[in-house]
Amino acid sequence: MPDAALSDLRIIDLAGEIGVYCTKLLADLGADVIRIEPPDGDPLRDIGPFWHDEQAADRSLLFFNFNTNKRSVTLDITRPEGRALFEKLVAGADVVVETYKPGYLDALGLGYDGLSAIKPGIILTSVTGFGQDGPHAHYTWSDIVGVAMSGVMTLAGDKEDPPNMPYPSQGYIGAGIQAAAGTLMAVWHRDNTGEGQHVDVSMQEALSINQETAMQTYDMLKAIRTRTGARGLIPIDIPGIGVYECADGQVFAYLGSPGGAPWTVMLDWMNREGKAEDLNEEPYISLIRELHLRFLTSLTQEPAKLPERIKNLGHIYGVFSRFCATMPKWTLYEEGQKQRLMFGIVSTPEDLAKNPQLKARHWLQQVDHDHLGATVDYAGPPYRLHETPWAIRSRAPLPGEHNADVFTGELGLSAQELASLREQQVI
Amino acid sequence: MKQPLSGLKVADFSWFGAGPICGENLASFGATVVRVESESHPDGLRGVAPFAAGKTGFNVSGYFNNYNAGKLDLTLNLNTDLGRKMLLKLVAWCDIFLTNHTPRVIERWNISYDELKKVNPQLIGVYQPMQGFEGPHRYFMGFGAVLGPITGYSYLSGFPHRPPMGLGTNYPDYVINPGHTLIGILAALRHRKKTGEGQLVELAQIESSVSPLAPAIMDYAANGRIQCRAGNRLPHAAPHGAFRCKDSTWNNQPEDRWIALGVFDDAQWAALVEAMGSPAWARDAKFATLAARKQHEDELEAALTEWTREQTAEEVMALLQSKGVPAGVVQNARDMLEDEHLKARGYYVYLDHPEAGVTAYDGPPFRLSKTPGVLRTPAPLLGQHNEQVCKEILGMTDEEIAEALIEQALY
Repeated sequence: MPDAALSDLRIIDLAGEIGVYCTKLLADLGADVIRIEPPDGDPLRDIGPFWHDEQAADRSLLFFNFNTNKRSVTLDITRPEGRALFEKLVAGADVVVETYKPGYLDALGLGYDGLSAIKPGIILTSVTGFGQDGPHAHYTWSDIVGVAMSGVMTLAGDKEDPPNMPYPSQGYIGAGIQAAAGTLMAVWHRDNTGEGQHVDVSMQEALSINQETAMQTYDMLKAIRTRTGARGLIPIDIPGIGVYECADGQVFAYLGSPGGAPWTVMLDWMNREGKAEDLNEEPYISLIRELHLRFLTSLTQEPAKLPERIKNLGHIYGVFSRFCATMPKWTLYEEGQKQRLMFGIVSTPEDLAKNPQLKARHWLQQVDHDHLGATVDYAGPPYRLHETPWAIRSRAPLPGEHNADVFTGELGLSAQELASLREQQVI
Repeated sequence: MKQPLSGLKVADFSWFGAGPICGENLASFGATVVRVESESHPDGLRGVAPFAAGKTGFNVSGYFNNYNAGKLDLTLNLNTDLGRKMLLKLVAWCDIFLTNHTPRVIERWNISYDELKKVNPQLIGVYQPMQGFEGPHRYFMGFGAVLGPITGYSYLSGFPHRPPMGLGTNYPDYVINPGHTLIGILAALRHRKKTGEGQLVELAQIESSVSPLAPAIMDYAANGRIQCRAGNRLPHAAPHGAFRCKDSTWNNQPEDRWIALGVFDDAQWAALVEAMGSPAWARDAKFATLAARKQHEDELEAALTEWTREQTAEEVMALLQSKGVPAGVVQNARDMLEDEHLKARGYYVYLDHPEAGVTAYDGPPFRLSKTPGVLRTPAPLLGQHNEQVCKEILGMTDEEIAEALIEQALY
């Protein structure tokens, strides 16, 4: 088994949905992550989709994905016996990740100061909607609140519709990514100095840079960038730019971009298929020879020619659309790209599962689930570190699966003590 | 002040978003980051709007500037032998080499990890090829706008009655890809500290971008279900979405305003009903449980909108938050820059740029209590630090620098 970059790290995972991607990322790079679940059930296990649509604590595919490589213990840290066990775990840990509302852990004496007293050098990573301080620190968050309050949601969708949120839960994902990076930054500092610290991640701040140019547009020009829908910033139909219906789905095209093949290569392809219609004739052929980004951005500089050009571009757009409509999406994508025509398939989840590039790279991971008597496909790596690779060493745990390992094996509780604590619902 | 990455040396040979944002975060936490550009190939974003009001040229794009605070800038012409030699010297100097150039460009300029390791055996080489270095699609072209559809974001986001139009931005470029890259770099640094060994960190943008869509892919693999875009709804919440509030006015134009909210359990539903003044419609049994609300979701949303439409988004947010219901204004950039909470936290950082003037930058995306990130300098002008880098990093004499200028290597 190749070395793992974080295998010497012990992480206590108290994270709710806003923080689980953080602890997953750390676990997948080798950290020993112990997830603490409430004895009466981890709400994360109630979120679908579910294996074979069967809702149960050991069937949530979302839970599976976000808890690879982790160990699970059940523990109520608010009960005195539970708290004592938690403190013992902290004493042997490097990092604690939590997502409670600011002040909750402090009130228990288990905030950064409390934890540092138990384990000097501890790193506490707190992931919340709005961060640990400020006028909105007490706000109740959810994923949609994060993408809304960070300026991201306002940019998506058609202006006739409400603004669009991204496919869930991108707000939580962004927060988790920044939290993992922040945690490792703090770990690096501790490795070099022995000093721990509090990592404060606000989902709102974590996502803000997703606004692309909107922030700068207001700051510099006092203009507000708004959602522009399918057309984007281009007011007319440009052939070869945008989403096109195919025989079995859709593709996105961006022909005539710098570095790509000229539009004439597209025309050659359409000719080979016998579907170029009248594009080889004037006035279309001359226009096609000029169809690149610089030409398009200069269109408005010759206003007299504009109506004629718009009409002709519209015609070419129609022929091109009809061509796309007869072709399978994978053909347009793969055959197009081979000719350096910038096509991108509009992938459905099925397309992603069957994507030849991802398949060739063995991106999807097959993980054994003994309790289901089956193998489950999990998402693969976001990066490949060639010496210390990302890896799924074990499936997501069952609730409290490692109670004996951890409480007896590591903390020395007897079987009777364990049973008693279970009866009292401390574990 | 000593920062976590003080003393770390980074050669940032990337451009656009996915690379430079990662490089900027390294700089904010103390690393010395040298951007490598060229007069003949400046970063493409330098030519993209918005530009500082009334200004022109390569140094006033807000798009570029926001991703490059704290960096030094060196222009090198890699079509000259001397330019190539200087790049290799920079690679020998650095701890981390970062690039998102395509496999073809990397081959053409001979800057693969194996090549660069020859001049720096402990190098951490960080590459962000769009489709990865191996596989049948490795030479496929694309940038953010194409990556969104390919990776599933377009199909899965938005309203079902609309075509897949994506998120309005080159979405994976700003948090997902640079964020994953930063995690990979910090892990590689730990390994190198333990063992002395560098490594190749390959972030295939397609893989990095697809990872967060795991639930949809796993739903297909396990259940054969092809999830499709569902607007702003969630299976386990109702109501959930963006609801129209009272219009505001800005620049003498009406502005549509929205509140985003979600009700995930019975307690939150009761709180919402109370906030609305317990109207009769809300007390109907057809809205009493989550399952019932899902069944009548169209009617629920219409009724809720009648209430939200009468108030400003800010009023709704304050009221619902006071009752523990997750709610937030759908903010635009003006809202963000004027957000009292972000101001209290000092999130946006204002830096004085020699050509663009004082402008706002996104602050670090996470906060460390003892060693905070700091944006120390504004984005660099093109080639701004040529002389400094040549002298202090590449160890060149004045004569050697003059030669590099004459040979157009420093270009």
